[in-house]
Amino acid sequence: MNMLQRWFMPKPRLTAVQAERLAAWLALPEVGMKGRFERSRCVVVDVETTGLNLMTDTLISIGAVAVVDGKIALGDSFYVVMQQRESSRKENILVHGITGTAQREGVEPVEALLAFLEYVGNSPLVAFHVTFDETMIRRAVRQYLGHALKHPWLDLAYVMPALYPPLAFSHRVLDSWIGLFKIRIETRHHALADALATAQLLQVAQAKARQKKDITDLSGLRDLEREQRWVNGVS
Amino acid sequence: MSAIHPSELAFITKHAPFDRMELPHVLWMLERMNIGYYAEGEVIVTPEQGAVDRFLVIKQGVVNGEQSVAKASDTDTWLELMEGECFPLGALLANRPVASVYRAGSDIFCYELPADDFRQLIGLSAAFRDFCTRRIANLLEHSKQVIQAQYSQSSVEQQSLASPLSTIIRRAPVTCSPDTTVRQALEVMRDQRIGSMVAADEEGRPLGIMTLHDVLDRIAIPQIDLDQPVVEIMSMQLSYLPPQAMAHEAALMMAKHGFRHVLVVENEKLVGLVSEKDLFALQRVGLRQIGSAIRHADTPQVLLQCATDIRKMAHNMMAQGVAPEQLTQFISAFNDLLTARVVELECKASGLTGTPLHDGLCWMALGSEGRFEQTLNTDQDNALIFVVPAGMTADQVREKLLPVARRINETLDLCGFPLCKGEIMASNPKWCLSLEEWKRTFNGWIGGGSPESLLNASIFFDFRSLYGAEHLAEDLRGWLARVAADNSRFLHMMAGNALRNRPPLGVVRDFVLGKGNTLDLKMNGITPFVDAARIFALAASVTQTNTIQRLRLSAAKMRLPESEIDAWIDALLFIQVLRLRHHDEVSEQGASDNALDNLIDPEKLNELDRRILKEAFRQARKLQSRLALEYQL
Repeated sequence: MNMLQRWFMPKPRLTAVQAERLAAWLALPEVGMKGRFERSRCVVVDVETTGLNLMTDTLISIGAVAVVDGKIALGDSFYVVMQQRESSRKENILVHGITGTAQREGVEPVEALLAFLEYVGNSPLVAFHVTFDETMIRRAVRQYLGHALKHPWLDLAYVMPALYPPLAFSHRVLDSWIGLFKIRIETRHHALADALATAQLLQVAQAKARQKKDITDLSGLRDLEREQRWVNGVS
Repeated sequence: MSAIHPSELAFITKHAPFDRMELPHVLWMLERMNIGYYAEGEVIVTPEQGAVDRFLVIKQGVVNGEQSVAKASDTDTWLELMEGECFPLGALLANRPVASVYRAGSDIFCYELPADDFRQLIGLSAAFRDFCTRRIANLLEHSKQVIQAQYSQSSVEQQSLASPLSTIIRRAPVTCSPDTTVRQALEVMRDQRIGSMVAADEEGRPLGIMTLHDVLDRIAIPQIDLDQPVVEIMSMQLSYLPPQAMAHEAALMMAKHGFRHVLVVENEKLVGLVSEKDLFALQRVGLRQIGSAIRHADTPQVLLQCATDIRKMAHNMMAQGVAPEQLTQFISAFNDLLTARVVELECKASGLTGTPLHDGLCWMALGSEGRFEQTLNTDQDNALIFVVPAGMTADQVREKLLPVARRINETLDLCGFPLCKGEIMASNPKWCLSLEEWKRTFNGWIGGGSPESLLNASIFFDFRSLYGAEHLAEDLRGWLARVAADNSRFLHMMAGNALRNRPPLGVVRDFVLGKGNTLDLKMNGITPFVDAARIFALAASVTQTNTIQRLRLSAAKMRLPESEIDAWIDALLFIQVLRLRHHDEVSEQGASDNALDNLIDPEKLNELDRRILKEAFRQARKLQSRLALEYQL
């Protein structure tokens, strides 16, 4: 399937129940980022895909953990492997470790994505290098649910350098930051494990932002992110 | 599609107690857990927060527990917690605020379980409940299994001296009625090919025993009438043990008293017979043999051989996993026998035996020997009490006894008990005293309180009689118990002195390590227990010298909860295990017993042992806090 085919694909068909679930999700109150860290919920997300091309590769799995009132709630986490029409290339399987069989046996995409949205609710999303995760999820949601997802995201890849300016150049990838804070991660490139590590990084960021800049909510962190994007743009 | 990542489960189940909990319970717990982050220096739990609201397991980093200065408490003491460790259990169980401030020693992440869920989990999981309520006992149990697993690979079949007698009994006992004739009894013994016959009454209660050895002395030589009832020539001196007693207890009994058989008796009924031969199968070096060799040795050379055998036996027993308490008792029992024999021989050789001076002397063991806590490297600590016969002065008696004492000390040295570097030996005129002089000396220490007096008290007050006129030592002990208990100033100073030796804070970081990053198990580990037990015993007029007995008896008098005392004793025993194991390993590598030290490198312990050792040190600190509380230090 090439890009044009994808672009002009017919509107997806949802069952009545599925359409109702989507409508219920859409009817949720607007996402707020002004809740103080110790009294709010946000969802940290990581995805695994068939490759790194934002236009042609597709979602394989979504992993997410919720940070509730400043703590990672282990029971409030989410993981799904999406059913693939064809399994991904061999070299890619070596990266994420999800075998062809597991990919074909995954959850039907409409169900998987609805479950994800319901899990997220109206909590803001957080990731490291948001562009990738956000694009992949948005494209899948449009393709399978026929909805243009507009959900606010926070990008730790910009927040962290803003909090630790001297490290901005040496620390560009997730691995350097989790290494810096000695966050242990047993299986890298597993969406849930990566999401958990990213959530731990968010906890560090929250503590640091509060201590250093008196920032007490996600919107404050998002302002930091914007400033850092501007700094990166001009430097 | 809620999910717990397998690596979380893998991490948590690596650590006690989660490694023994049923999987559904662990999952139940994980689903309710949060992960919290605390930056270095941040306070995690404090007394000011009121009753503790959550149970924490360290996922990564180090947490320090600090005694809050304002509210020094006897229940929580300084500690350092590492990955996989849980806190604050005591406060959670009692639903009270913590007594210490817990602070992040580095950037840390903790798993946190709300207090309500914690209590529910305690109801749900027996393994978890057990761990929380009997923390140190459980860790120890764990470690014991690991140690035994290590040793069992050497021979799976080999029964050890640590097995109960019930597993060693080979057949039902052959008994006869008391009115059986000697002839009939001997015939049965021949037909059944057995070496002994026990006469029992109708209820199966043993009355006497006859062995093949007795045939010569009691039957053949006196030429007795073979048709008289067997019970008349039987030995009525029977030694009993219950079936659940351990093989080493039977061995110890045989070695101490020279018996060849021990009757196994349950509810007064004879259920079996354990012979020396049965135990030989378990033990390459014959225990009774060593005992009898010592008793009959007449030259230092033979005794030296016996001393070597004792060491060999101790190593052997260690390899079989005999518990430290029994092992040190064994070593002490044999060293006692050996020392007594040396004293006996030297008294004879110097012509003292048979004189009134010999009848009025008491050889005393001091220090670890006095406490029945000897290990393989022990130098001499001994002293003499004597009676001054009419018409002589104490100095005249001393003049006669000192040369003999010198010979004894030198012979003991030959037998592998090095001379005491501090000259705490009977050949030192200062420590060869009449009963009156001893009382005066002790009185001086109790009333004085100089550092030297306190040090002496800590060595000499563990005295016990080893040879000769026991009543002298008993008299001195009774006197000391009365005098010391009344002297609170002295006890106060002893306590202050003991508290100067603080057990290390953590085990890996942030605590005083000696030379080459080592930890002195004796100084840092054993001594705090020994010192505290001595003070408690003196205060409570407990006359025992053994640390464990002292703790049990005096703590009971002080109305301390039994669980607390058990925890102290378990902790002490664990440190003793580590110490003995260290000795065993070093001598495996060819070091001589004199070269054995008590220094271990905590980094080289496995994680479980390190945790228990830490817990043991924590118990030592608790014991010290109790001491401080008693004496308001």
